[in-house]
Amino acid sequence: MSYAYLFKYIIIGDTGVGKSCLLLQFTDKRFQPVHDLTIGVEFGARMITIDGKQIKLQIWDTAGQEAFRSITRSYYRGAAGALLVYDITRRETFNHLTTWLEDARQHSNSNMVIMLIGNKSDLDSRREVKKEEGEAFAREHGLVFMETSARTAANVEEAFINTAKEIYEKIQEGVFDINNEANGIKIGQQHSPTNPSLPGAGNQGGSTSSGCC
Amino acid sequence: MDFLKSGLKTVLGAPEPGQQPTGAETVERLVERVNSSTLLDDRRDACRALKALSRKYRIEVGAQGMSALIQVLQMDRADCEIISYALDTLCQIVTPEQFDEEADNPTVSVNVGEQFTEMFLKNSENVTLVLGYLEEYDFRVRWSAIKLLTTLLANKTKDIQEIVLVSPMAVSKLMDLLIDSREVIRNDALLLLIQLTKGNANIQKIVAFENAFDRLFDVVRDEGCSDGGIIVEDCLILMLNLLKNNSSNQQFFKEGSYIQRLAPMFTIAPETEENGWTPQKVSNMHCMLQVVRALVSPSNQLQIISSCQKTMRTCGLLEALCNMLMGSGVPADILTETINTVGEVIRGDLSNQEYLSTVMAPSNPPRPAIVVLLMSMVNEKQPLSLRCAVLYCFQCFQYRNEVGQASLVQTLLPSSSEVSSLTAGQLLCGGLFSTDSLANWLSAVALMHALIENPAQKEQLLRVLLATSVGSPPVSLLQQCTTLLQQSNYKLQSKVGILMLLSTWLSHCQVCVKAFLSTPSSVAYLIAQVSANEHDENEYLIQGLCSFLMGICIQFNDNSLQNNKREDLCQLIVKRIGLEMFTAKLGDVSKHEAYSRAAKQPQIRAKSASELLLDYEFCKLFKALESVITKTVNGYDVNGPNLTELTLSSEASDLVSQYKDIIREQDNKMNDMKQKIAALEVQNETIQRQLTDALTANSQLTDQNILLKAQLTAAAGAGAAAASASAEPEPANPTTSEPHVALNTQISFYQSENARLLEEIEALKISLHDKSRNSSSVVEEFEHLKKDQEDLLELLTDQEKKILKYKQILQNLGENVDTEDELDDEDFMERRETTSTSLTSTDDHPRSES
Repeated sequence: MSYAYLFKYIIIGDTGVGKSCLLLQFTDKRFQPVHDLTIGVEFGARMITIDGKQIKLQIWDTAGQEAFRSITRSYYRGAAGALLVYDITRRETFNHLTTWLEDARQHSNSNMVIMLIGNKSDLDSRREVKKEEGEAFAREHGLVFMETSARTAANVEEAFINTAKEIYEKIQEGVFDINNEANGIKIGQQHSPTNPSLPGAGNQGGSTSSGCC
Repeated sequence: MDFLKSGLKTVLGAPEPGQQPTGAETVERLVERVNSSTLLDDRRDACRALKALSRKYRIEVGAQGMSALIQVLQMDRADCEIISYALDTLCQIVTPEQFDEEADNPTVSVNVGEQFTEMFLKNSENVTLVLGYLEEYDFRVRWSAIKLLTTLLANKTKDIQEIVLVSPMAVSKLMDLLIDSREVIRNDALLLLIQLTKGNANIQKIVAFENAFDRLFDVVRDEGCSDGGIIVEDCLILMLNLLKNNSSNQQFFKEGSYIQRLAPMFTIAPETEENGWTPQKVSNMHCMLQVVRALVSPSNQLQIISSCQKTMRTCGLLEALCNMLMGSGVPADILTETINTVGEVIRGDLSNQEYLSTVMAPSNPPRPAIVVLLMSMVNEKQPLSLRCAVLYCFQCFQYRNEVGQASLVQTLLPSSSEVSSLTAGQLLCGGLFSTDSLANWLSAVALMHALIENPAQKEQLLRVLLATSVGSPPVSLLQQCTTLLQQSNYKLQSKVGILMLLSTWLSHCQVCVKAFLSTPSSVAYLIAQVSANEHDENEYLIQGLCSFLMGICIQFNDNSLQNNKREDLCQLIVKRIGLEMFTAKLGDVSKHEAYSRAAKQPQIRAKSASELLLDYEFCKLFKALESVITKTVNGYDVNGPNLTELTLSSEASDLVSQYKDIIREQDNKMNDMKQKIAALEVQNETIQRQLTDALTANSQLTDQNILLKAQLTAAAGAGAAAASASAEPEPANPTTSEPHVALNTQISFYQSENARLLEEIEALKISLHDKSRNSSSVVEEFEHLKKDQEDLLELLTDQEKKILKYKQILQNLGENVDTEDELDDEDFMERRETTSTSLTSTDDHPRSES
């Protein structure tokens, strides 16, 4: 399958917040209630369409456990996008966000798009972190925010696709150096060189596809 | 050497004439200089001298100079020359090889390099320091750092891997080396990465994440693909390291469309066919095939295998492999590996298997590729590895391929249209009866794979008739197999093959068992073999296989043959062999070394032809049936037929297990209810206790009340008497006014006392009222509980009735219901009765009270 762009993502966050489930829901459209601990890093991939262009997402799902932290750090630099996940039913996973963010900012390239995800929104009765708190945190740190449920698939597609849109827009704006593969972006064979100085095409596509979120 | 000496002179100053310093002294002075000299030039010269001395005086330089050298790495970052000297010196010290210069030095032990490595690794910062120098663009520094890291890795792979994993960006730095325009750097970095990725999944994943596959394919392409030099081989070896047993990377490789980049590399240029293959090309191709196999190895995750197989078909890789298979001039070992690879690419994938069945060999007349392959399998002159590969490929072709299995058996069946061309079936039958025992074995196993998990073909194969000699009537294949077993010139290996074929054929197929038992002398042969007393490892194997076949005949017997019913055969075993002996002989199969060898992996590996005895799929069958057969045979009682669960037909045993489930469920429910009853009893007791407490409190209060009333009347009487007494003598005797006043006060006291007591009574009455209300509510609650309990008891009786009914059904079905269950039930009934009586007795108690 050919693609216009290839984006590398990583998923980070405390252990048990549902990172692997989010990935499984996105790539396989299924939910697995019982999942083993991720050891090190696991890989998944899917094709999406943005602005009429095929975009391949390669996603590395990292282990949340502290023991694997040094290993997972190796993945920050080469990623174009990161999903930073916490669990809305466990306050401490929200409290740890600052540490995760510092880690990510320190080891990644400065243009990496980070999406903040409050997962398990289906468990509203056990909620410990208000949606407003997540929004406030995201605003304060310049992140995109969304609450998702890997169980019901609510907002899962949107989380991955919106991150891709953000990256895509940055490419159009010329922020990313797409020729440097260390940024986590690769141009595919399918890519027909569109002129980024033509904002009409980019904006139009952006507005039509943003209808889904 | 002169230059060196003069160099030393300049560094150390001219030595005193006649006093030649020893090596150790020189090293000491040099280390001193490196440590303390303030001039960079001096330190650099000392480092250069140390590097020169490190080959001859390795121990001295290592022991005294290591910390000084590390200090140089920390402090003199800016000077590339001194850094490269320091790195080179360290590299010499830790190298595992022995230098020529130190050959006559007895103090240098074999593992001195390893010991110095350990010293260097004591502080992991040192490695991080060296990793940092990979970023230095200067050739000398970068190259020396690579060499040092490679040597350290060779000595202490695990330790370095751990350090690399925790140093941020270490892998990124290493990966950047692959795009270094200086080939020496790139090539040595490749070797370093090959070492680094060995057996460490986490590093493998990070390397893959850092675009390793892209870069490696770029290098391979730049170097001329499979025609390239050893660098291509190195790239492929690294790729193989990244993919082997690493499902995440396999997925990434597939998703990254790298299979598509691999495919064109298998296309053989026409000029190669003419000019022959260079040894390097053979090595490269071998590695490429290994990379393909790493993706579809049967030990991988199923979904990865099938998605890779699909991609390999659609991108033309399978086609390219098949072309190689049928092409000319392919070296034998590459051909063998290609056959193995094709096997794994098609294994279990119907479309790929179909594709292979349509491939035609460019022979005259054109024949299907499979037939050509089988021709070489039964050909005695072909090398062993090639014949094994063909069998493996053929097994992969049959694996979960009902169509392929059916079409093979079809070629053996008598058909209306005469087939003139050679077929697979004919080849295999020919192989079965050839004089080459390996051909016998290979053909038997190949035929066996056409029957695996395919009952229809087992029955079809019964119809196969063979014309043994002109004039004599045709015999069935099954009969011929039995005859072959009894021929003394049929070799052991061949017999093992036939026995495996028969076992697979008869297993789970009652019709086949019946046909086998009807074949004359079949049972007699088996009994004779099992009771034989030959002492030889391989004879044990034959005896074991015969007992297994015997067991299959018992297990899948439909009891329709007179004299060969299940119990007849069991009787035979008990009388002629003995149960113990039978079980022991059965166990000999899995104890044989050929068993563990074959059960390891589906691929057939053998160093010599005689090693080939058992087959992977047969081992699976044996493992599944051994315990079942043992149970069946041991469950047979000499005193008469004994219906055990295992002898029941599958429907009956299903039914039995269903009922068992129901009984188990009800048992659980019953236990639950028992627990509930117990809980209710406890509750009941506490309520009763509370009630008696309340009643006693109540009666106490009544007593008190009566007492107070009595006191009150007494007090009132006394007060009245006192009043009349005081009223009378007042006018008559005014002098008594003194006591009168006293009496008056007493009266008022009594009156107030009276009022107080009345109040108290009022309060007591209220409290009494409350208490009695309480007690009545308690009684009500108790009534309610009692009703609950009665309901539960009723439920219990219902359950009991149900159980009895099921038991009846079970008995009707012919199942011996465990007497234990009955005992349990009776036990339970008794218990239930006692509980109910005790309940009624406690029932009456509070009622009479209230």
